Amino acid sequence: MLLEVKNLTKIFTVGFLRRKEIVAVKDVSFNVKESEFVSLVGESGSGKTTTARMILRLLRPTSGSVVFRDRDVWSLRTLNDLRWYWRQVHGIFQDPFASFNPLYKVDRVFYQVFTLLGDNDVDKESLVNEALKEVGLRPEEVLGRYPHELSGGQRQRLMIARCYLLKPKLILADEPISMIDASTRAGILQLFSKLRDEYKTSIIFITHDLGLAYYVSDRVLIMHKGSIVEEGSPEEIMEHPQHPYTKRLREDVPLLYRKWSGF
Amino acid sequence: MSLLEAEHVKAYYRVREGFVKAVDDVSLHLDRGVIMGLAGESGCGKSTLVNTLMLNIRPPLYLIDGRITLDGNLLSKMDKQTLKKKVWGVLVSIVPQSALNALMPTQKIIDLIKDIVHAHTDISDSEIVSMSRRRFEELNLPVEALNMYPHELSGGMRQRAVIAISTLLNPKLLIVDEPTSALDVSTQKQVLKLLVDLRKAKIIESMIFVTHDIAVLRQIADRIAIMYAGKIVESASTDDILYNSKHPYTYGLINAVVTPEPEVRKRGLISIPGEPPNLLKPPSGCRFHPRCPYAMDICRREEPPLVEVGEGWTVACHLVASGRR
Amino acid sequence: MVSQLIRDLLRIKKFDLSVAIFSSILIIGLVGPIVYEVDPVKMIGPPEQPPSEKYPLGTDSYGRDLLAQLLHGIRNSIYIGLTAAAISLAIGVTIGALSGYRGGVADSSLMLITDVVYALPSIMLMMLIAAYLKERNPIFVALVIGVTSWPWVARAVRSQMLSLKSRDFIYMSRMAGLSDIKIIFEDLIPNMASYIFMAFVLLMSGAMIAEAGLSMIGLGVTRGVSLGIILYWAQLLESVRRGIWWWFIPPGACLVALATSLLLLSTALDEYFSPRLRGG
Ligand SMILES: Nc1ncnc2c1ncn2[C@@H]1O[C@H](COP(=O)(O)OP(=O)(O)OP(=O)(O)O)[C@@H](O)[C@H]1O
Ligand SMILES: Nc1ncnc2c1ncn2[C@@H]1O[C@H](COP(=O)(O)OP(=O)(O)OP(=O)(O)O)[C@@H](O)[C@H]1O
Ligand code: SF4
Ligand SMILES: [Mg+2]
Ligand SMILES: [Mg+2]
Repeated sequence: MLLEVKNLTKIFTVGFLRRKEIVAVKDVSFNVKESEFVSLVGESGSGKTTTARMILRLLRPTSGSVVFRDRDVWSLRTLNDLRWYWRQVHGIFQDPFASFNPLYKVDRVFYQVFTLLGDNDVDKESLVNEALKEVGLRPEEVLGRYPHELSGGQRQRLMIARCYLLKPKLILADEPISMIDASTRAGILQLFSKLRDEYKTSIIFITHDLGLAYYVSDRVLIMHKGSIVEEGSPEEIMEHPQHPYTKRLREDVPLLYRKWSGF
Repeated sequence: MSLLEAEHVKAYYRVREGFVKAVDDVSLHLDRGVIMGLAGESGCGKSTLVNTLMLNIRPPLYLIDGRITLDGNLLSKMDKQTLKKKVWGVLVSIVPQSALNALMPTQKIIDLIKDIVHAHTDISDSEIVSMSRRRFEELNLPVEALNMYPHELSGGMRQRAVIAISTLLNPKLLIVDEPTSALDVSTQKQVLKLLVDLRKAKIIESMIFVTHDIAVLRQIADRIAIMYAGKIVESASTDDILYNSKHPYTYGLINAVVTPEPEVRKRGLISIPGEPPNLLKPPSGCRFHPRCPYAMDICRREEPPLVEVGEGWTVACHLVASGRR
Repeated sequence: MVSQLIRDLLRIKKFDLSVAIFSSILIIGLVGPIVYEVDPVKMIGPPEQPPSEKYPLGTDSYGRDLLAQLLHGIRNSIYIGLTAAAISLAIGVTIGALSGYRGGVADSSLMLITDVVYALPSIMLMMLIAAYLKERNPIFVALVIGVTSWPWVARAVRSQMLSLKSRDFIYMSRMAGLSDIKIIFEDLIPNMASYIFMAFVLLMSGAMIAEAGLSMIGLGVTRGVSLGIILYWAQLLESVRRGIWWWFIPPGACLVALATSLLLLSTALDEYFSPRLRGG
């Protein structure tokens, strides 16, 4: 098993005087096999991003564990161990606008990760150019520019290009909330499928769009109010949803060739 | 007579390097009782076009050319004062793209309504309150929301409140710009339901719905206009756009739609290569030619004419003009 | 980018005014002592002379030239202000950044220290340190002020840090295996640069006033002059009651002008940067 998530829980405490606890993720467990494409589907605020951050070892869980290749991720302490982890498990964030430090040229996100590769003799420039071409960007169009000079779609691709550069074993991709066009989205999905097919990369794809999940995944996890309420193949989920929330979700996805009744 | 008629409308942004041709020679008409969808990729000029149609323009955006008639009134010749008194909110209302975050955080919904209504008419405050209550009840929205602050409402509720407010004076035409793009599917459906109910209840006559999501348009639009790089490239009934589209860009867009349906699974996922052009220097001839799989020599040289291929169905493509499709 | 920033800033009237006031006094302080070569601590004439052609700002009770004192005083006061602000900033930013970034035990203990320094009446602390040092040149005074006035900076930087560190671009850098120090210096601090600069301006204004305060209770510099020291002597020898206005008005006015121009500058910067910071 590549990744095992066991009883993951995250409770945020907010407020200063009147403290309030928000259970963002509640007792979530699942596994991911090598070269498996798993989608995590749920509505806004269901805890998808929080789960991803805990798996990426960026946010400490309140309880539960994340085990990658038999090592408990939260027991990794030294920078070397952490680099070993992030070399193999990498993330792409939800907001392509917030993912770049506005003060630096976008090139920085690539040159940063060479510390993870550890090999200093590589021709960095040609590796970066290659990765950019893989995701359909022309290096001369994007390199040397500041983030605000690029479109949301371009930035999203830049982050994927970083994954092409690293070729990690597992990618957690948090899908942007519809800020990206449908047509651009299709292109981005193809990029993930290509990574999986060519390099056996496993993918955890996070989205609130059951349509996308149905299309690309081997397995779909439905998340609702912090818990995983249903799990199955895309066909099972679409054709025989069990949980009432899944049923509602399926009914609410707008379809192209079928019209909702009552509209 | 149609409700809205636009002829050869051009609206450009003036920037240091020249003009951004965001709306370039667009003609369209909208019949009474029709919901029209306007679709296209980000940056193609959808928001600019719908704002221009109601003359809601301010520098650096300028109306360069064209005639716009709404319900028999020639908007393109009216001054700001007349537009404010007689047109906006009364004949046409818009729910702008960023409406979700644009509400004043310190103002209760009802106070916001009072402000807006006072800008157009001199109905008394108590009348406005009872009007709003009646309207919220009619649309099955919780009346309590009127006395709440924007941040106390969920994203979907806020959007529905904004829509209800915009249509309080029963405008003939409602324009909604990406009303559901920031919402998840379940909330989206509630907002769409509200929009359909507005027409059913005859609160509005017609609607223009802007989005990049064709699957959403399929659910509520009677007609769809496809926009690319400042131009309308195809306009037809929803079914024709879906099943018989003639413009390469239109079926590019449709093939990129990913919905959980066997038809989609069968045809596979096909995206349009490349990116939309920079509207400061749009490509010569047909603006889609650098990305079009069927581009011919003539496409690079000459702009394709808008050809009528059927009842209320127009296409601008050389393939169609030369009879090859 | 930088030239654009400067051009935008110059368009703000408050900014222009405050920079003009501050820099003209600064230039007077820098160039003055070179042009006007009179020793400020030597008796050069009769005592308590009103301004005249020979003594442009008059003399004090010891017959020392007051213009020379003012010029050197400005120079030293600004010097103390700058140094003290730099010291406070260094301590405040380091502690605030570390405690905001690391969180947990590091955060609690650093904030405890901060609270202790904050709660101690800083003038007491200054008195203790200053009394301990019998010989006090400007750098000592700057040090005394610097090590006591950083707590608010630490708290402000910490809260900025907390909001910055959960931004996605910080996660991008962490995932690239950058060390914490590198992330603090490459990602976090540069994004707080405008904020830190404002803190510096405020610290400097505060430090110059604190210098005057220390001097007034007899704990200022023992070597050299500062605006505070001139005021101290003027007060000691009852210049106000005796109407020797040329002794206390010029240094007082300079001090007020320096401190208020810096306060004005910080409000101008705040107006300029705040909406941008909020926007993203
Ligand atoms: N740093 C935080 N402090 C407090 N509460 C938080 C924090 N981060 C997230 N939450 C809360 O945790 C819950 C889950 O949030 P999360 O971002 O994981 O949802 P999501 O499924 O990714 O939603 P979306 O689809 O909108 O991205 C929400 O209620 C959110 O408000
Ligand atoms: N104030 C402005 N100044 C200059 N150019 C502008 C301005 N506002 C928009 N543009 C440009 O005009 C073009 C059309 O913009 P518009 O907002 O109408 O597109 P859109 O189709 O609504 O896109 P989206 O789907 O992202 O909302 C874009 O190329 C945009 O960069
Ligand atoms: S005119 Fe030519 S380039 Fe344009 S869409 Fe038609 S075939 Fe393609
Ligand atoms: Mg999220
Ligand atoms: Mg728009």
